[in-house]
Amino acid sequence: MLGLGLPQRPPLVEETLKRIQSHKGVIGTMVVNAEGIPIRTTLDNSTTVQYAGLLHQLTMKARSTVRDIDPQNDLTFLRIRSKKHEIMVAPDKEYLLIVIQNPCE
Amino acid sequence: MATRAQLGQLSPAGSAGAEALATGGALSAEGPGRPAPLQDETLGVASVPSQWRGVQGIRRETKSCQTASIATAEKAAQTRKHVDAEVQTEAPVPVSAPSVSPHDDPRLAAFLRRVEAMVIRELNKNWQSHAFDGFEVNWTEQQPTVTCLHTLGYPPAQGEGLHVTSVSWNTTGSVVACAYGRLDDGDWSTLKSFVCAWNLDRRGLNPRQPSAVVEVPSAVMCLAFHPAQPSYIAGGLYSGEVLVWDMSHPEDPLLWRTGLTDDTHTDPVYQVVWLPEPRHSHRFQVLSVATDGKVLLWQGVGAGRLQLTEGFALVVQQLPKNTKLKKPPRGETEVGATAVAFSSFDPSLFVLGTEGGFPLQCSLAAEEAALARMPSSVPLRAPARLTFSPHGGPIYSVSCSPFHRNLFLSAGTDGHIHLYSMLQAQPLASLQLSHKYLFAVRWSPVRPLVFAAASGEGDVQLFDLQKSSQKPTVSIKQTQDESPVYCLEFNHQQTQLLAAGDAKGTVKVWQLSTEFTEQGPRETEDLEQLAAEVAT
Repeated sequence: MLGLGLPQRPPLVEETLKRIQSHKGVIGTMVVNAEGIPIRTTLDNSTTVQYAGLLHQLTMKARSTVRDIDPQNDLTFLRIRSKKHEIMVAPDKEYLLIVIQNPCE
Repeated sequence: MATRAQLGQLSPAGSAGAEALATGGALSAEGPGRPAPLQDETLGVASVPSQWRGVQGIRRETKSCQTASIATAEKAAQTRKHVDAEVQTEAPVPVSAPSVSPHDDPRLAAFLRRVEAMVIRELNKNWQSHAFDGFEVNWTEQQPTVTCLHTLGYPPAQGEGLHVTSVSWNTTGSVVACAYGRLDDGDWSTLKSFVCAWNLDRRGLNPRQPSAVVEVPSAVMCLAFHPAQPSYIAGGLYSGEVLVWDMSHPEDPLLWRTGLTDDTHTDPVYQVVWLPEPRHSHRFQVLSVATDGKVLLWQGVGAGRLQLTEGFALVVQQLPKNTKLKKPPRGETEVGATAVAFSSFDPSLFVLGTEGGFPLQCSLAAEEAALARMPSSVPLRAPARLTFSPHGGPIYSVSCSPFHRNLFLSAGTDGHIHLYSMLQAQPLASLQLSHKYLFAVRWSPVRPLVFAAASGEGDVQLFDLQKSSQKPTVSIKQTQDESPVYCLEFNHQQTQLLAAGDAKGTVKVWQLSTEFTEQGPRETEDLEQLAAEVAT
């Protein structure tokens, strides 16, 4: 389709991501698609690619674990707490939202 | 009686020998009337001839076989045309986030709308949660105290009363090398010295027998292993030369040497460092620092020679005047450098420790020509950018923090450690560790707030700025008679190991307790906070 310029991104996506990113203690936010390829990110390239690949695999494994135990159940949220920060993954059929937060101790 | 009946049964079998045996027995039984129960008698030899061969016989037949003849044919082939093609791998292009085609955005927006509330709720809960306060998990075995793993020494060197002047770990962390020399000689010395290396991962490690020994005609003052090649090691000598050895060739270890040319240092070389070349980052050059005021960069060229590529000279008149220094006695314009440390964040920035006790912040990219009167094949430049406030005596060691871009430590003969920030001339903190000299100070490679210092009182002191900024957390006694510890190095691969060399000629490898090897959750932030609050 011939357009007269760049298609306008819906402001909702950028606003939502900005809201999450500006929350207290959040280090980085990224959205990954179903193949594990990052679509949006606030971190640098190499870190993003690393997080996306590893967390995508882990989320799939977590989901299959939950469904193996009870096929009527499904994964809704995944949190990994480490010494330095907490990684939160909100899964979905098509996307993953990954947020890395440094909780106040 | 019973014997006779048995006789009758045996004979039809045709065994003549058995008959003879039985007869002999019967005769003796009929002799003096009653048979004597325990009486000696000799029996004839009993033999039983073999029967099976005679019965069967052997049948022989001759047979032969032959493979059918193999058909062969000659053929030749020749290519008539050929095509050349080259293959070249390219550096992988980093995967970048691809731009999303427009019709994906509504789905993305819908997804975000669905999850946003949940994520924000979890973020808030996390921020206020105390659920994990003080919760710690032990993944590795806890080591409660500092223990001495190995005590290494080379008896011929110890017999001559040589001191360990420098230790270095190689790039894989499995080999520790030490240099023997003397640090209290004021004179030109013709003492032979040694460079010894022990491979700690090898089985059957003999602490009195190094896995490689190199004899050097003059005292070696400093050592540095190559950052990529596990067996290359550079050393600086008392005579001012810089040599590079290959420890994997014990019969001919010398790779490159500077020789005694006009370019060489005229004073003992106190520290050598390997630097990556600016254009080819996999090749390395050697930087040497000596008390004649020169900082020289050497490159190994063919025929075993180290050639000077760049040089810097420190002259008193060219030092930055931001700090007031004592006026030097007339006639001396060189500033002797005794230690060097490169910043891990900016590869061209380095700190020099000097004989005058003031650290200097220098840069490899400095352009100004030096006012030195020393002959040199390469123009010498003045590298100093900033002069820091001095110690009470010459500095023996400097170390830049691997976690903070502005912090560095310096240790000197006044027994004090100064913590400096690159941004200001006055030290941020000054700690007195010893009443004698301090010979070496190193930041820990894993814990941002920990450093180790080697003192002239024979102990290695480990400081944890998180626990206490006044006194050392652990003080390890290395020598029994308070002879000084001259050098120490952390192992960057196996971070719980620390090697220290002393005046008795022994190198002790210490295994640190877990509190020194595991990083706490907020240490980097604590270090930054420390730098900021002490500066104000």
